[in-house]
Amino acid sequence: MTALFRIVGLWRPQAAWLLAGGLVSLAALASLLGLLANSAAFAIGGAVAGGLTLRLLGTSRVVLRYFERLITHSALFRALAGLRVWFFRGLALRAAGGLGFRDAGDLLARLVNDVEALDAVYLRLLLPFAACVVLLPVLLVLFATVSPGLASIVGLLFALSAFVLPLVAARLSLSIGQQLTAAGAALRVACLDTLAGLREVRAFAAEGRMQALVAAREATQFAAEQRLSEAAGLAQAAAFLCAQFGVLAVLIAAGAHVSLVFIAAAAFELAGGMPRAGVFAGHAAAAATRLVQVAEGPIPVPDPASPVPVPANAALKFEAVHFRWAADRPPVLDGMTLDILPGSRVAILGPSGSGKSTLAALALKVVAPDAGRISIGGTDLASVAADDLRHHIAWLGQTTHLFADTIRANLLLGRPDATDADLWAALDDARIAAFVRGLPDGLDAYIGEKGANFSGGQARRLALARALLSRAGILILDEPCAGLDAQTEREFFAALNASAEGRTIILIAHRLTGAERLDRIYRLSSGHAVAAAR
Amino acid sequence: MPQDQAWQNGFGQLNHLDMTESPNLTKSWLRGQQTASRRGVARVVWLSLVGTMAAIAQAFCAGALLAQGLAGQMPSFAIAAAFAALALLRAGLGLLAERRAFTVSTQARSRLRADALAKMLTQGPALLRAQHSAALANVLVDRVEALDGLFARWMPAAALAMAGPALVVLAALPVDPMAALILAGCGLLVPVGMALSGIGAAAASRRQFVALQRLQTRFLDRIRGIATIVLAGRTEQEAEALRTSADALRQHTMRVLRVAFLSSAVLDCAMALALVLLALRYAQGSASPNVASPGVALAMLLLAVEFFAPLRAFAAAYQDRMHAAIAAEQLAALPEIPPAGPALPVRNVTARGVTVTFEDVDLSWDATRGKALDGLSFRLPAGETLVLAGPSGAGKSSVLEILLGFIRPDRGSVRINGADIVDLVPAALSALIGWMGQRPVLFAGTIAENIRFARPEATEAEIAEAARAARLDSVTAGLPDGLDTRIGDGGHGLSGGQAQRVAIARAFLKNAPLLLLDEPTAHLDPATEAEVFDSLRRLMAGRTVILATHSAAAASFGGRRLDLRDGRAVTGRAA
Repeated sequence: MTALFRIVGLWRPQAAWLLAGGLVSLAALASLLGLLANSAAFAIGGAVAGGLTLRLLGTSRVVLRYFERLITHSALFRALAGLRVWFFRGLALRAAGGLGFRDAGDLLARLVNDVEALDAVYLRLLLPFAACVVLLPVLLVLFATVSPGLASIVGLLFALSAFVLPLVAARLSLSIGQQLTAAGAALRVACLDTLAGLREVRAFAAEGRMQALVAAREATQFAAEQRLSEAAGLAQAAAFLCAQFGVLAVLIAAGAHVSLVFIAAAAFELAGGMPRAGVFAGHAAAAATRLVQVAEGPIPVPDPASPVPVPANAALKFEAVHFRWAADRPPVLDGMTLDILPGSRVAILGPSGSGKSTLAALALKVVAPDAGRISIGGTDLASVAADDLRHHIAWLGQTTHLFADTIRANLLLGRPDATDADLWAALDDARIAAFVRGLPDGLDAYIGEKGANFSGGQARRLALARALLSRAGILILDEPCAGLDAQTEREFFAALNASAEGRTIILIAHRLTGAERLDRIYRLSSGHAVAAAR
Repeated sequence: MPQDQAWQNGFGQLNHLDMTESPNLTKSWLRGQQTASRRGVARVVWLSLVGTMAAIAQAFCAGALLAQGLAGQMPSFAIAAAFAALALLRAGLGLLAERRAFTVSTQARSRLRADALAKMLTQGPALLRAQHSAALANVLVDRVEALDGLFARWMPAAALAMAGPALVVLAALPVDPMAALILAGCGLLVPVGMALSGIGAAAASRRQFVALQRLQTRFLDRIRGIATIVLAGRTEQEAEALRTSADALRQHTMRVLRVAFLSSAVLDCAMALALVLLALRYAQGSASPNVASPGVALAMLLLAVEFFAPLRAFAAAYQDRMHAAIAAEQLAALPEIPPAGPALPVRNVTARGVTVTFEDVDLSWDATRGKALDGLSFRLPAGETLVLAGPSGAGKSSVLEILLGFIRPDRGSVRINGADIVDLVPAALSALIGWMGQRPVLFAGTIAENIRFARPEATEAEIAEAARAARLDSVTAGLPDGLDTRIGDGGHGLSGGQAQRVAIARAFLKNAPLLLLDEPTAHLDPATEAEVFDSLRRLMAGRTVILATHSAAAASFGGRRLDLRDGRAVTGRAA
């Protein structure tokens, strides 16, 4: 439930809209009560209002109801859109090192299904709750004019339906909600695994197995849905009976006051939605927990409270850095010291597992050293903001992602204000310009999911061009030529030698081709960097 | 924002199904689906109709109680008890109807999802060329879920929208024909309003679905590459782009709702009109005195509420139907599964291995991009190895994808042991082939589970043996849980070389006679590459192998070599 309060707290920017929705819905409720009471009184008891009042009330009821629906829904969707952005930002802050054990499909389920589950909170729960809170004293005063006994019976049944039953239902449905959110995510993951892995599925003839998996996950979801639907049905039935016995009590005790019968009926109809809403609130609470878990979990390397700006064109210095990925794993870096001068070209060599990529992760503040100090221009990395740092250090990793977008959009990620000429120059340096020129859509060609419409080598060179576009003073290239043939690799280094003048280049590789122009070469072994000759 | 526009352009082709589907196909498809659920829905309708009858009886009970109250008499216990009993009956009927509707809906959704998945699997990996996996998953998850409203709400509501009000009018007719007439007249306004609101609603609803699909595709793609975004310092730009997508979804949704709410407003109007007309009728004494008794008046007013209840459900479900019709478009547009022909036997597979021939094969992925393969011919005898060499984009992967059955050649023939590949059913083909791609897809789970994917019935010992043969045991020995170590979505926790070893282990476990290797060592350092090649060499023994690579070390495999350039064979010689 705390997660739910946290989510509602996040709706502050949309508070004006949400409150406006609440006010209109109260006005619509008032007009309904007026219409019912007056038409009943007019028809049966001594008329309190004329036909004109009735028509006015009828018209205002219809108009207010329309705007109530419109404003409340608009307010809600604004709030949900805000939540989606909040979720993405929160995730980004915690996933600089990639998704890790988070499942992409599960995260998508959170963004879609769990955010949608929250719509019940405002529309079905908060709005009717506010109306019920206003309505209860009105009811008590009205019915007390007939008899205190009737007022207490109506008040009790109303409070039972509007407040007690929903609370009980929410408590009971919390665990069903947890099952349902988890099952929904598992179903989406199974579908995504099957579809993203269509090649593997076909190659291993796994069609039948994947169908069975999807069917099983679906059955789990339906089972949870069924329990939720059962609970909602029971809550509904209980609320219905409260309403029926409330109206019966009014019929028996206040038969002479016809308008009260209709007011009671309308009030109970409003309260009657609450227990069912309580059931969905349990579901929403489970969904809220899943959102908060991801978006507000611990940050691996938190920024300092008042960060220092990153100096430009600065030396990168590792001093006696110790690092291990997990407490039960052996250390990757064991007192490594390394000094990279501004504008220099440095190669860091070593077999896989020697800590080359760890070095990049440390330089980019994806992880923090266990001991020792990393500094840029003399400023400790711990005292700068990660986002600022990453504008000074560009990175091309082995896991660099190509987005299902156009070539242009992919390149602009490296430098959003780049002109077409800049883009072509980078493509030239990455030795892919001729290929792109040959595409009918050129820069606007769609590259497919993870660059699937291009070969592995072509995709790699696009990623390379994106890294070269960046204006950062320090360029970390982690195996830039993996997957490229030897000739392309040589051509690329020739272009790099010519184009990246004045920038610091840190080349991470398992071997050199001989085409690189380098100032220093280091070898990583047993957690130390050792200067090496060619 | 130019970036976003480019995205939309790029996305255009993802939605071609929306553009090409025919409305008639969708309609007849929807009709077929509804017929399949008709019996279940009928029960829901009957339960609800009995509930309406109980409500009518209650209205008269209430009228009688009120009349007694106004006359100053003690309320009759029997009538009050009847009212209470009817209330209990209605509560029970409501529960039963909800339960039935749920069953109908889950059965239908289950059937539809299985059907759509089977069709997607039949189309196979070629689907991924045109569509993002997130967009496909959206069809499989969200569009099927959107049909819930069709079965659980719309179908019962549509049947009850006529029958429920008709029952109420029938009950009112003998008591006060004029009141019955007023109700019926106001009720006729409802379909008029619905028709009005239906204009343009389909287009708005379709745009809403596209916006949702776009948002999902964008988000999934962005979180898969979240490290790339964060490390490029572009989190804020992407968050803003996501806000644009989310806002677009909100605007499209509101456009749909504005119309839907209009139909609700027409209903509110009709109900208010009915109440006002009835009130005026009884107040002005235009009815004959015996009709205008307060009890009758109250009963009629309560009946008005009951008259409109099914219509309100109908109006609410109208949106569900609209939604379902649009959701159905992509489901209906999935191509039917062709009837399975007799599986051609592949001759002498086990005895003599697999022979592969390409004869004058043309292939283009995309007409505008030229040919990926251009009149390619070669023959690979059983048990031999062919190294496909050439720069990236020369067509190496295309050769392998044809053999995998992911795509069909445009021209020419590809034969496996003499049988044309297009005549082989996918299962028969995949039984012959072991495959290692450039980027093996690893699923969240344990390493052992990922190996087992190649052959689910394999024993623990066989999996351990495959891991050993792939030299994966040296990796897992250093892990806390060995082969049962959990890895994340996409192979998180394993290095590139380790992931390739999992793929080799899969190939060992599958033990197929034809081995297709697509740059298996592209991302590995020389030492690791040598080890992987060592494992591969043992895997290749006795099999027919096609190895696409530009690694110099591949020369050590011996065998034939075919140099490709722009989809053509440049040289073919025995090394």
